[in-house]
Amino acid sequence: MAEVGATMIKRRGFVNLWVTAREAFWLALETLRVHKLRSFLTLLGVVIATTTLISVMSIVNGMNLYIADKIANLGANTFILHQWQWEQGYESWLKARRRNKPIRIEEYEFLKVNLPNYKNIGADAWIWGESDAKYGGKTLYEVGLSGRTPNMIDIGQEKVESGRYFTESDYEHSAMVCFIGRDLVDEFFPSIDPIDKEISVRGANFRIIGVATRIGTTFGESQDKFVHIPLTTLQKLFVARPQLAVSVQAYDPQQMLVLEDEVRALMRARRHVPYQEDDTFGINASDTLMSAWHKLTGAVFAVTIGIVAVFMVVGGIVIMNIMLASVTERTHEIGIRKSLGARRRDILMQFVIEASVMAATGGAIGVLLSFIISWIVDMVFTSSVPTNAVVIGLVLSTVVGLFFGIYPASKAARLDPIEALRTEA
Amino acid sequence: MQENVTPRDSVMIRTENLWKTYEMGEAIAVQALCGVSFDIERGEYVAIMGPSGSGKSTLMNLIGCLDTPTQGRYWLNGNLVSELSDDELAYIRNKEIGFVFQTFNLLARATALHNVELPLIYNGTPAQERVEKAQDALRKVELGDRMHHRPNELSGGQRQRVAIARALVNNPSIILADEPTGNLDSTTGEEIMKVLDRLHEAGNTIVLVTHEHDIAAHAHRILHIRDGKIDRDERVS
Repeated sequence: MAEVGATMIKRRGFVNLWVTAREAFWLALETLRVHKLRSFLTLLGVVIATTTLISVMSIVNGMNLYIADKIANLGANTFILHQWQWEQGYESWLKARRRNKPIRIEEYEFLKVNLPNYKNIGADAWIWGESDAKYGGKTLYEVGLSGRTPNMIDIGQEKVESGRYFTESDYEHSAMVCFIGRDLVDEFFPSIDPIDKEISVRGANFRIIGVATRIGTTFGESQDKFVHIPLTTLQKLFVARPQLAVSVQAYDPQQMLVLEDEVRALMRARRHVPYQEDDTFGINASDTLMSAWHKLTGAVFAVTIGIVAVFMVVGGIVIMNIMLASVTERTHEIGIRKSLGARRRDILMQFVIEASVMAATGGAIGVLLSFIISWIVDMVFTSSVPTNAVVIGLVLSTVVGLFFGIYPASKAARLDPIEALRTEA
Repeated sequence: MQENVTPRDSVMIRTENLWKTYEMGEAIAVQALCGVSFDIERGEYVAIMGPSGSGKSTLMNLIGCLDTPTQGRYWLNGNLVSELSDDELAYIRNKEIGFVFQTFNLLARATALHNVELPLIYNGTPAQERVEKAQDALRKVELGDRMHHRPNELSGGQRQRVAIARALVNNPSIILADEPTGNLDSTTGEEIMKVLDRLHEAGNTIVLVTHEHDIAAHAHRILHIRDGKIDRDERVS
């Protein structure tokens, strides 16, 4: 009969634990409800930690999206051959600038002929220094002036809103035509059709043949303040030997990697770079730009994780402290529960769940706060709450509660029922 | 040699040479119980009487499976419970024993209904069934209209009746009442004793711990404890 009792005891398995866990869960919510202020103060650490974590993740995420869209976006499956690698330290950049020769028209022509199997290859060159655009007595200062090959419209991010882009004919004949950004339309032609009007840039007159769709701003700087002219026109008027950026477009991401290698091999061969030496040019792609950016945000993250860890530990210790007080306060209750058949694990679970529910509530408040913060930051800068940040925040705070709840809970579970009952309520 | 077999079915409680020693320090040991043996049959109404310090409370804790003896054996409803672990004892308390305490020991924050539900929670009874059983138990002690009151909204007598409902709800083998009227005035005390009498008539085994003769007089058998031993086993007809 004693053995029968023992097997019955074992049969009371985890199903029962579920019932007691639910009881513990409601009890925890009840405790939070009754002790609102105490709970809030207790949870402050966890709230701050979660808010910090999610807010930083949101801002970095927002900037990631921003960078990916506005800066690292070179066009679909496109990489750019330039005099130097764009993402590198200042020292190595200085060195590259001294050592590397600019990319020239001949090299562009060479690649165009010798590179196999590309989708598009184009080139552009910018004129540095003050390029002011004038029309009808008005002047728009510091306009970006660049010369381009006709196929750049298929490679880059610009789209034709009205009119057309350059043709091969414009290119071959160094035509005095231009393709302009929306800012110039807003300034010079707010109410009339700009097509076929002539504007003056750097003292030369260009006939407008097309207008680009508005791009917007990046870090507050307008991206629509530009005048594009055929590369040959730029050579004829301003710089005979312009320094080029050559854009190569592949059919898909895999082929892009192959093409990068091909370009590297062709350029090294043409420039007679010895086997052991570094490239005397740079190949820039979205992923290398993004990885440079991620290196930067990685440092921000490391600092954040440190701060959040400190907050979380402090928050956890405060929870542990309040739970220890709670166990002492409720010794009599624990005695009653034990006398009615609560096992150690029932009591343990009650307090661990209470600590976790408390911490998770702190986490939830943190999520809420960080949504508000993100919303405000997004108005003036950029921020976007990623789903995984919310999940991480909630899980992390719950785990902190769980971890720091274990010690007080095990203390409660080990209480002797007789002693506990004897304690005055 | 002692008998080494499980008692027959009609024996609800069998203690066999129970000793309880409290170590109070390096060299001092207090003998709270010195070899207590008795049987209580199913359906008996027994009072355990004795002055304070007699070992009465210690015996009650052992019978209530809140503690284990230093020596000796104890069978409750056929289970040898004197050698069980903490959690196994918790299981026995839940299933076999209904406590009624002097100070009621209700959870202050919980309603009468929830207090009565507690033993059912710890044996994993599903919510629906739990509420029905708890409501039945409360109706049995005539508190059907006070289910959603908290203890501080109830009179002493009502609180003790909630405690009795809680003791009953799991259909225990014994109801163990420790000075159940100690905190009540005599009129209310009598009311509570009537409830216990009624439960006995309904077939429950009741063990009453008290130091009051009037209260003990409700029982049909009185075990007098003195200096950790059974002094007298008195049958009242």
